[in-house]
Amino acid sequence: MRSEVVGAIVDALLPGDGGSPALPSATAAGVTARVEAGREAHRPVIEEIARAAGGEDAFLAAGAARRADALRQVEAAMPDVFAALLLAVVEEYYDADAVLLAMGWPVEPPQPNGHPLPAFDEALVEKVRKRAPMWRDPRES
Amino acid sequence: MTKLDPVDVVVVGAGLGGSAFTARLSERAPNLRIVCLERGGWPDRDAMPALRRDWQRAALGPWATSPNVRLASGATASADYPIDDASSPIKPLMWNGVGGSTITWAAHVPRLHPSDLHRRTLDGVGDDWPFSYQDLEPYYDLNDIALGVAGLAGDPAYPPKRSPRLPPLPIGRMGRTAARGFDALEWHWWPVDAAINSVAHAGRPACSNAGPCLLGCPIHAKSSADLAYWPAALWRGVDLRTGCIAQEIVVRGGRAAAVVYRDPAGVTQEQPADLVVVAGNGVGTARLLLASKVARDPDGPLGRYLMFHPVAYARGMFHEELDGPSGPVGACVYSHEFYETQHIQLQITRENSLLAQALRLGPVWGAAAHRLVREEFRHSLSVMVVAEDLPEPAQRVTLTRATEADGLPGVRIEYALSENARRILDFGLDRAEEMLRAAGAYRVVRVPLAPLTGWHLLGTARMGIDPATSVTDARGRLHDVPNIVVADGSLFPTAGAVNPGATIGALALRIADGVAEDLAS
Repeated sequence: MRSEVVGAIVDALLPGDGGSPALPSATAAGVTARVEAGREAHRPVIEEIARAAGGEDAFLAAGAARRADALRQVEAAMPDVFAALLLAVVEEYYDADAVLLAMGWPVEPPQPNGHPLPAFDEALVEKVRKRAPMWRDPRES
Repeated sequence: MTKLDPVDVVVVGAGLGGSAFTARLSERAPNLRIVCLERGGWPDRDAMPALRRDWQRAALGPWATSPNVRLASGATASADYPIDDASSPIKPLMWNGVGGSTITWAAHVPRLHPSDLHRRTLDGVGDDWPFSYQDLEPYYDLNDIALGVAGLAGDPAYPPKRSPRLPPLPIGRMGRTAARGFDALEWHWWPVDAAINSVAHAGRPACSNAGPCLLGCPIHAKSSADLAYWPAALWRGVDLRTGCIAQEIVVRGGRAAAVVYRDPAGVTQEQPADLVVVAGNGVGTARLLLASKVARDPDGPLGRYLMFHPVAYARGMFHEELDGPSGPVGACVYSHEFYETQHIQLQITRENSLLAQALRLGPVWGAAAHRLVREEFRHSLSVMVVAEDLPEPAQRVTLTRATEADGLPGVRIEYALSENARRILDFGLDRAEEMLRAAGAYRVVRVPLAPLTGWHLLGTARMGIDPATSVTDARGRLHDVPNIVVADGSLFPTAGAVNPGATIGALALRIADGVAEDLAS
């Protein structure tokens, strides 16, 4: 299994977009390294995806639609191993700095600094506060 | 097996119920020798993942909400045991260690409504509790004070609450958007009561609005039983033994005589005691009591009447930017507009991490996945529909034939979503979508039942008057073995439609006062 095939498969899973800022492709986000690290575990599903497209060269030569067809075919035929590959790719991708930043979110862990939020404005509930009691009192039943 | 020196009271479990009970009893009866056995250890806040770059992924494995998922990941921070939940559409969630599930709770601490304790009398369904809201109310106040609760007085959905409150938590753009929807429909809404510091309090800092409360709170802003109750209990001399797994309550002549437990070295110890208190949550308590064969009728109510709070979601998409995963995830605003009529709570929850949100999309991959994640992240608002689960004997915790690594029999959940729960969830989803549309959502996605929401494990050792349909009396004493007391959510005869933490704490404090009175007499 050639590395460029692995890269083409993970990019078919998460191709990136043309937004501003753009979401990178999976390979540009650095996802390939994790899939390569688990290459043996993922080998059967990767090989099956390539086979579904007519072989490794055919997968590399295929356009986006044909690659997606191959993925869908294997997803239906081998759901568990496909899901394991997808989870590895998605976990790595949405935790990548470039992806978080493209989504407008900081890369730092949430604690200890957190996020600023304005204090609650009590005026918001003035109308609700004036409602009659809504709870049932069992002593009055 | 080593037989230890006798003590007055052995408490099994240092979660919210066991902690509140132990602290209160040690205050009311300071001369008692009290031992607490906790299967887990103290939380290590420096090791909590919200401080780390890999926090998003930790939530999928070692810090997942499900003990089964954590066990599969090899994690050991929580002293978990496997639960066979294949027969339940709702998966049991918990944390096992000092503080129990309050370590990873959302810290939303609403009270039951007074009517929740009288469902049989008022509505002809469920059961009545063996006491009233007014009997529990002073203990709600004490528990609020111990935890430190942020909230706002004056909610017309409740009787006035007397305990002091910290200022409400920020609700952010997400909460204000929801308020706009509720207001447009003239429905009730209110900022939550939360055991989270909105300002510095009790030597702990204000919440940083970091978001992922379910990964624990490394800065101590979120209250939990280990922080609220244990310092005082330890100061009064309670002997808390961590890493000690209760194996059996030894019953001789119709009375509990001792607790056999496995210590951290794997050595079996027998701890004789005059009174045994069990507080291991609705699964763990039933498991230990069933394993100890304390019930005269093996097919009786013990382990039965399991109640969760079935949960559905409606998620609205907005063009305007909301806050994303900022602010305490489960503590924003709620509506009890339909609480007394349909027995549901509508609760606004904040967004999850980017990774968690991406994983729940359909599809998860392809160009469409990118479009969806861009549409949702920082632009969505979720309404959680929390439904009352009525008590039914077929819903239960039972033992398997296996012996697990912790030495106890395996445990299984047998549970099916009832027709009533399905009906009120659907009603709630309709109302949630109505509110989201009124608030300006241009698209709404429904999740008819959320499986990973089984935090609330209630009813498996229920209180009552009739031993045929209840396990304990109003003071938590087993009908069959009166010197075994239960002090956790297992006691609930009905569940209401709100998070049970406040009621578990209050109930445990009340049970402790009952024990203190019994022992004094």
